[in-house]
Amino acid sequence: MKGSSFQRLRTSWAVQVRVLHALMIRELITRFGRENIGFLWIMAEPLLFAGLVGALWHFTHGETEHGVGVIAFVATGYIPITLFRHGVARSVAVFTANQSLLYHRQIKIVDFILSRFVIEILGGMMAYLFMAVVLIGFGEFPIPSDIGLLIAGWFLYAFFCFSVCLVIAPLSEISEAMEKFIPVTTYIMIPFSGLFYMLSWLTPQAREFLLFSPFVNGMEMMRKGVWGDDVTAYYNIWNPIICSTIATMIGLILCRRVRRKLTVE
Amino acid sequence: MIICSDIAKSYSHGGRHKRVLQNVNLAIDRGDRVGLLGRNGAGKSTLIKLIGGVEMPTSGKILRNMSVSWPLGFAGGFQGSLNGLDNARFIARIYQRDYADIRCFVEDFTELGNQLKMPVKTYSSGMRARLAFALSLAIEFDCYLIDEIILVGDQNFQRKCHAEMFEKRADRSVIMASHSPDFIRSFCNKAVVIHQTHATMYDSVDKAVELYDAL
Repeated sequence: MKGSSFQRLRTSWAVQVRVLHALMIRELITRFGRENIGFLWIMAEPLLFAGLVGALWHFTHGETEHGVGVIAFVATGYIPITLFRHGVARSVAVFTANQSLLYHRQIKIVDFILSRFVIEILGGMMAYLFMAVVLIGFGEFPIPSDIGLLIAGWFLYAFFCFSVCLVIAPLSEISEAMEKFIPVTTYIMIPFSGLFYMLSWLTPQAREFLLFSPFVNGMEMMRKGVWGDDVTAYYNIWNPIICSTIATMIGLILCRRVRRKLTVE
Repeated sequence: MIICSDIAKSYSHGGRHKRVLQNVNLAIDRGDRVGLLGRNGAGKSTLIKLIGGVEMPTSGKILRNMSVSWPLGFAGGFQGSLNGLDNARFIARIYQRDYADIRCFVEDFTELGNQLKMPVKTYSSGMRARLAFALSLAIEFDCYLIDEIILVGDQNFQRKCHAEMFEKRADRSVIMASHSPDFIRSFCNKAVVIHQTHATMYDSVDKAVELYDAL
């Protein structure tokens, strides 16, 4: 009995991996095509964003801020936030957009969100790596002092983004008004994303308040991982873990409810 | 075997409710060829979608003890912006089949030639039908769900379908919706008449067709 349920789990896992793989390739082909650099475009936007805003800050704020290079600081902030913004944008109405795939029973609606999000994560990581290598070459980016912390911060940040996507995707299906609020919400959350500051630059009250934001915790970890002893970071790894877990649960419940009522053409 | 026990399906939109099916109890055995008869909007496609797992019943349970194809119909199953071969590759991947075999069969069965390299959204419904049939035949399901679509094909396609599905795969089950009583009479051994949210199975196709004609 135990053997058979283990066997079942293994088969389901194999199906899951196959489906995700197929969905990701399909997504890459439909979004980027096979011409010119193809799927490498996924890192184009985060890079452009980080590069151009970094250059802008370089001219308006000077070369360094609180002792860290401005270009590198902006880049480390913008790449994670593009992950969030893209993830959310890709989750809106994702079920309707992909409904023809629901004809195949092995594909579940959470796979739509997951496959798109994995692509965004990979794109973000490629952009991060590419940007760091280029900037290190120019002496504008430090050799990360604690790669482990940087990666841990990145994944906590990504986990929270993913859990938000899991909530937004079914909500956007339930109510069309949701869709209208999303651009303004992602804009409003920018100050709470840790993009433009380190917590150590702020007043203690502001710091206390912003530490409630899972994004800020993840961002502080990443920056501590990059600059090490050059900066002071405040974070609590449990905040993103707990917030993401709760949001994931809510998201999965909503997805299940929406799936039962989903009308497929 | 496929068992539908006490399924009901209703749609609601903007506060309006529509009950499409209720108290549907059906059992489809291996090798059964079931024709679905009913007027427009009676719920034939809905029943096929429920059996295929594309939509979920509002209440009730559907048990599938054999592999069931996706509903072959005018919509669904394909990504319109991808070409025929990319769609074939995607389906080969998710059903864990060898792409080379599937491609061979698809090229041979559809006779679409270079059209297979065009996006599926540029296909006519007949061409889509060819592709959908070719793919689902290549995967080899125990039960095929067919929503109207055989009749959009030309003579050549209907002959091929007949040879592949009803002769070579005579042991498989088929559930098909059709408005052509002749078609159902010649291919089915059972028929379901759907009328006013109720679906009733008849072992005699002739009797079912008679009832359907009277609706």
